Amino acid sequence: MQILAQLIVSGISVGMIYGVIAFGYQLTFATSKTLNFGQGEALMLGALVGLTVQHFIGYWAMLPVVLLFGMFQGAVVERLGVRRAVAIKSEAGWIMATIALGIIFKNVAENIWGRDALKFPSPLPETPIDIGGVRVLPMEVVIVIGAIVLMLAVELFNRRSIFGKAVVATAADRDAAGLMGINTGLVITFSYALSSMTASFAGVLVAPVTLTGATMGAVLGLKAFAVAIIGGLSSGLGVVVGGLILGITETMTGYYISSGYKDVPGLVLLLLVLSIKPSGLFGRATIKKV
Amino acid sequence: MRQTRRHLLAAVAISATFAAWSAQAADPIKIGVSGPFTGGSSSMGVSMRDGVKLAIDEINKNGGVLGRPLEGVYRDEEARNEVGVQVAQELINKEKVVADVGFINTGVALASQRFYQEAEIPVINNVATGTVISTQFAKERSNYIFRTAASDAIQAPMIVDEAVTRRGFKKPAILADSTNYGQLGRADLETALTAKGIKPVATEKFNIGDTDMTSQLLRAKEAGADVILTYGIGPELAQIANGMAKLGWKVPIVGSWTLSMSSFIDTAGPNGDGAVMPQTFIQMGNTPKRAAFIKAYQDAYKIDRMPSPVSAAQGYDSIYLLAAAIKQAGSTDGRKMRAALEDLNEKVDGVVTVYDHPFSKTDHEAISANIPVFGEVRGGKVQPAHADDVAGDKAVRVKSKS
Repeated sequence: MQILAQLIVSGISVGMIYGVIAFGYQLTFATSKTLNFGQGEALMLGALVGLTVQHFIGYWAMLPVVLLFGMFQGAVVERLGVRRAVAIKSEAGWIMATIALGIIFKNVAENIWGRDALKFPSPLPETPIDIGGVRVLPMEVVIVIGAIVLMLAVELFNRRSIFGKAVVATAADRDAAGLMGINTGLVITFSYALSSMTASFAGVLVAPVTLTGATMGAVLGLKAFAVAIIGGLSSGLGVVVGGLILGITETMTGYYISSGYKDVPGLVLLLLVLSIKPSGLFGRATIKKV
Repeated sequence: MRQTRRHLLAAVAISATFAAWSAQAADPIKIGVSGPFTGGSSSMGVSMRDGVKLAIDEINKNGGVLGRPLEGVYRDEEARNEVGVQVAQELINKEKVVADVGFINTGVALASQRFYQEAEIPVINNVATGTVISTQFAKERSNYIFRTAASDAIQAPMIVDEAVTRRGFKKPAILADSTNYGQLGRADLETALTAKGIKPVATEKFNIGDTDMTSQLLRAKEAGADVILTYGIGPELAQIANGMAKLGWKVPIVGSWTLSMSSFIDTAGPNGDGAVMPQTFIQMGNTPKRAAFIKAYQDAYKIDRMPSPVSAAQGYDSIYLLAAAIKQAGSTDGRKMRAALEDLNEKVDGVVTVYDHPFSKTDHEAISANIPVFGEVRGGKVQPAHADDVAGDKAVRVKSKS
């Protein structure tokens, strides 16, 4: 029982990381039907910038700086890679462009921070807390709480503020929103900024538990993409649940079946979802009108 | 037709005299140095390169070899097989190196060595440990691949010996990464355990970049493991040590020499203390020769802790062995150098050991099982695990005669 609890706790902390990155995919998909395939690199840049900045002003003071940096980075991606492609209704242009920008960001990071994995100093003690035999690192608790708080904040902003309503309106029907006088181009830029912001935030959250380096985003970005597909790209709740499902299946399989097959059930689940409910577990089926 | 042939002959003659002339001027003897100087294994690659540089500078200060200075041609192969192949071709065809030292990653070594073998240019592997490296071309008429590192065939039995025989553990769990390095090492460990009549209670696998080791460690723990044997590289090994601390489970870690990587020591911090691994060289000046080498290294590169002392020492020694072979061969002809290496008359006094006929026609391994000792991570440094291993006349261990 204790082991099961421990596995679930570890799965939740891993899954929450996947979820918060996948949440970033969902944000841009909602407004523009495009994805930033450089999401993993946005996470990596956030972590590396955070590592440098916290050196001067400490971990907690660094967080707003990284959030701002993330927003800026996302806006750059949208302006350089996505805007033109969306304007000419290109189906594949933005895919290539966001992947290319991701590669460029990775190379830039390699040149600035080197190719070694770096240790990110933990802002909290690294001694685990024991809750009824289940042991958990303080930083893991922060990851779960931080991810939930950030996602709630973004959802609240979208639902309550006037600008957020513009985002929702654009997501619902871009052309109609444009006719109502909403600057949908700006809204899309903004959604990219928010998306990279969540990724950067995820980066500085996980960095103290993992290692920081130019390649840290690759695996996480890919896993999060699977999560976004499983949960459904149109649902914020879906990606969180999808993340938890993947995280917990990974640790469970690693323990109960074999660590060699850790990644298999997640992929099987992905295939099942794609063949049975292609819009994702929580996704709404959209009919594409041509 | 006859005309063209005469022209061709003349051209060949001219280029031959030109080549002879240019060789007679004291132009440097070019030695290729290939390793990963960036990326995850760069701490080993850079230490190896710096050890090699140190040796080349010392030899040149003393007049070089055959009256010519040595010149290292340093190339970063980024631990990538395809880059390694490009570097090998560049060094052979463009730079015209007479020999090559280096290779940290077994995969890169296996992919690149073929080109040197075909060009009849000797290679001294000074860090990569994969067992097959030195025997990849053993079946061919002559083998140009030599090694000054402790192969996995030596390390795996040493690890098992230390854990089972010396420390008396009965229930080992193996944790190995999913790369060639990890999986070949795991197989070697299993063979060595079977020889002792022991079956590992758990055999677990993890991927490069994995950050959560909970399930692997819980399996080992529930199986009642009393020691963990590892085959992996620094960052993931650190995740294992950190994961154990998180689960509040502490059993000793005994593993391959990569437990001495600075990425393991720095990332695991206090959780890594007590991990033990085979080492051919420990940063400890227990002989005048070693003390001088460590001091020269620290002065030259302005550091206190060598990033990977093993790599630095093996790199340093590989150049002295090569220099001795060139001297004995009296030329930089590949075949003569290989023959000289296989029957080296000069006793080379290196920092790892004293090399007395280190290689033969059939044995291209300079390090035998009795040379490495166990190092232990203590206070952010690798120190001898058993003080008596390196005391007195055991300080310098010489290859056993086979």
